[in-house]
Amino acid sequence: MKKIEAIVQPFKLEEVKEALKNIGIDGMTISEVRGHGRQKGHKEVYRGQEYNVDLLPKVRFDLVVPDTRLDEVVEALTNAARTGKIGDGKIFVYDVADAIRIRNGDRGDAAV
Amino acid sequence: MLAARTALVDSIVRERWSAMPDGAAIAAVGGYGRAELFPHSDIDLLILVPGAGGGKRDDRAQQAIKEPLSLLLRDLWDKGLRISQSVHTPQECNQIDNSNAELSVSLLDRRFLAGDETLFRRVHDPRPELGKDIARLTKERHAEFQHTIYHLEPNVKDTPGGLRDMQVLRWLAKLGAGDEQAPPDTAVLFEVRCFLHYLAGRDDNRFTFDRQDEIAKLIGAASPEELMRRYYRAVRNISRLANRRIDRFEAKGSSLLAQFRDKISRLSNSDFSVVRGEILFRSANAVENDPGIVMRLFEFVAMHGLPLAGDTLDRLERASGRFKEWAKNQSGLLAPIRRAMLLPHAAAALRMLHACQALEGIFPELRDMEALVIRDFYHRYTVDEHTLVAITNALSLRQKKGDTFADLAIETQDFDLLPIALLFHDVGKGTPDEPHVPVSVRIARPALFRAGISERAWDIVEFLIAAHLELSSAMSGRDLSDPEVIRSVAEKVGTVERLRLLTLLTWADISAVNPGALTPWRRQLLWKLYMLVNAELTRELTARIGSPEMAGSPELRAFLEGLPPRYLRIHSAEEMRQHLRLDAEAKEKGVAVSLVRSEVWNLNVVASDKPGLFAMIAAAISSFGLNILRAEAFSNARGRVIDTFAFADEQRTLDLNPDEVQQLVRTVIRAVRGEITMTQLLERRPRVKPDARLLADARVTYNNGASPSSTLIELLTQDRPGLLCDIASVISNSGANIEVVLVDTEAKKAIDVFYVTRAGVKLADGEAEELVGALTKVAVPV
Repeated sequence: MKKIEAIVQPFKLEEVKEALKNIGIDGMTISEVRGHGRQKGHKEVYRGQEYNVDLLPKVRFDLVVPDTRLDEVVEALTNAARTGKIGDGKIFVYDVADAIRIRNGDRGDAAV
Repeated sequence: MLAARTALVDSIVRERWSAMPDGAAIAAVGGYGRAELFPHSDIDLLILVPGAGGGKRDDRAQQAIKEPLSLLLRDLWDKGLRISQSVHTPQECNQIDNSNAELSVSLLDRRFLAGDETLFRRVHDPRPELGKDIARLTKERHAEFQHTIYHLEPNVKDTPGGLRDMQVLRWLAKLGAGDEQAPPDTAVLFEVRCFLHYLAGRDDNRFTFDRQDEIAKLIGAASPEELMRRYYRAVRNISRLANRRIDRFEAKGSSLLAQFRDKISRLSNSDFSVVRGEILFRSANAVENDPGIVMRLFEFVAMHGLPLAGDTLDRLERASGRFKEWAKNQSGLLAPIRRAMLLPHAAAALRMLHACQALEGIFPELRDMEALVIRDFYHRYTVDEHTLVAITNALSLRQKKGDTFADLAIETQDFDLLPIALLFHDVGKGTPDEPHVPVSVRIARPALFRAGISERAWDIVEFLIAAHLELSSAMSGRDLSDPEVIRSVAEKVGTVERLRLLTLLTWADISAVNPGALTPWRRQLLWKLYMLVNAELTRELTARIGSPEMAGSPELRAFLEGLPPRYLRIHSAEEMRQHLRLDAEAKEKGVAVSLVRSEVWNLNVVASDKPGLFAMIAAAISSFGLNILRAEAFSNARGRVIDTFAFADEQRTLDLNPDEVQQLVRTVIRAVRGEITMTQLLERRPRVKPDARLLADARVTYNNGASPSSTLIELLTQDRPGLLCDIASVISNSGANIEVVLVDTEAKKAIDVFYVTRAGVKLADGEAEELVGALTKVAVPV
């Protein structure tokens, strides 16, 4: 099993959700996060004052998928979240040791 | 049914108790004591053992009872009864301190079951001070639910107005803190809670959407929404009574507070007296004889923020029919509402108006959203409550300091229209099967025109309602780094003034969805969007319309060339044609002036541009003692300046002296032609005492980055007569040229924006700083 963590632009939320749904991925956790990568923050000027905008709003998707589906899910995510511009975000993939469904104790792929 | 269940449990407990040794007693307390046992409620038992004097327990007696008692309790458990017991001596029961307030409260409902009755009689009713604890616990509980009954998925026991509040009413009555009033009809609450217990198989009182569907079917309600309206009505009555009773109990409390309240009773006037901090009508049939008193009461509350006495509420409720009848034939009710929206306690006043159903008397259209349930993932409240929370949040912005959105609220013109737009923004949700935004606009229009809204104000309100989802949908669904996205939002919004109002409306709307909806993340997105669109609109002000590809005569197109897009957005076709006529006249005479009276006086001047022109016209208007409300100045590609001024004639000089109208026009023409000097004009200016200070100091800033061709100077200060003229003179005297002016001085504060150049280019930073310094001196409130 793999855990996929994807940081994407806020306005891509619906599109990414839809893309995952279309390939049959229903379970995911979505959070509102702030941060920056190479895009860094930038300064906005308002009323002559500079506002430091170093942490940019992003959306984070967390999902766990069977190994066999990894490539397909990453591809769907990438296609849906890409605009081709700086700040499109990143995808991280981790190995998952096990998964347990709390309700009935199912383990492994059956639990995700 | 509850009583039958209680009787059954009574007989079981009594039967088992017969095996107990003498010298102890057993009593029912809590809900069981009240003989209201819901299917899965705990069975609260109090076991009384004798004391040994000195507050100690009688150890021997206790030992004797210990073994048989645990047998008895185990036995009851095994029978499937959820027992919750406590063992006390009568002395312990009669002590009150904070740590056992809940025990004392449960004793209020004690009921003897079996055993030594003399022991039971030694337990006294708690002292009335217990009411303070009840009030405190109740307020804490209400706070957990944001003090509102209108939760979409309420807890029928603990949500304000729920069964717990019903008990609070009875407890306070027992403690002598309430008059014995007929209790409100609560049958629906009892019924719902029984079903909730049955369906869940445990003591679960959450009235979720699923349960609403199931129970509506079970009790034969027409629809879940219908059941919920019944629920909210019952709960509203309980909640109102309980809050009133608790406030009264607290009012008895501190003597310091009482002194303060006696002091503020000087607020009393010919309509109202203030007694112990509560508002009472002076005359018994005040509302029947003069329904307009409700509007004065509304403004009185908005000004002073005091609660109504129970008696006042009763009278308002009884006379609500009479008020509605009266309100139907009134045409100017929006004016007092708008005035009140700028007072410190506007939100409390609006809630008061809603609570006594006078708001619905003025706008019967609002009944469409009363206790209206719209189910979705994130809304927490019914539509009417969401609306009131949004208004409360919007109004509270002006009390905050050091918050970016609060600063925006201070800078916003027509702030009083924001709550009006919010009041109607979701009213269309009451009409099924249609998208709610256009319906809201359709409903608001006749309602607000009936209440006397002006065309100018309606334009703003209509825009706000129609666009109330624009910013939130752009925030969540569009790429804000794409300039095209920002341009299209700017296009829809039109002007910076509207952008400010719409941003605040969006802020208030999101924050009223549920207490956690406005996350720092969303705030940041909204602020970013505001800054980007603001920058776009600001830049656009010095952008020029190229050769406009629009309909209209060649003359009109030539006239429009070079004007900023804002000019097109804020003027109607009729106004443009009028300006064009003035332009033709100015071609011959050098200057053309029109002066018309609508809501306020409007002066339009078209002239060839020259240094100091704007300042001269402002001085000419001030010299007549007239107060400039709004002013704008633009120039087109042919070097013609179009200056528009709206001003108020507070002394009614023009109204009462028709000759003065022509005199003003002549003075403006002479000022433009240079036939009269600035000094002469200023000498004529009457000295008027400025209003009380609202803003502590002036804020003057310059910005060289906002526009490609001009330096932007922004100024926010307390308005005073002649302010605009003084500011314009300072700019002109510094040798700078005013390219564009946007001035608004409503609500006693001046928000002025000047785009200036010197010799056709931006000011150097040093020059701009010097000018800001000079402007700060004249702008500081006196």
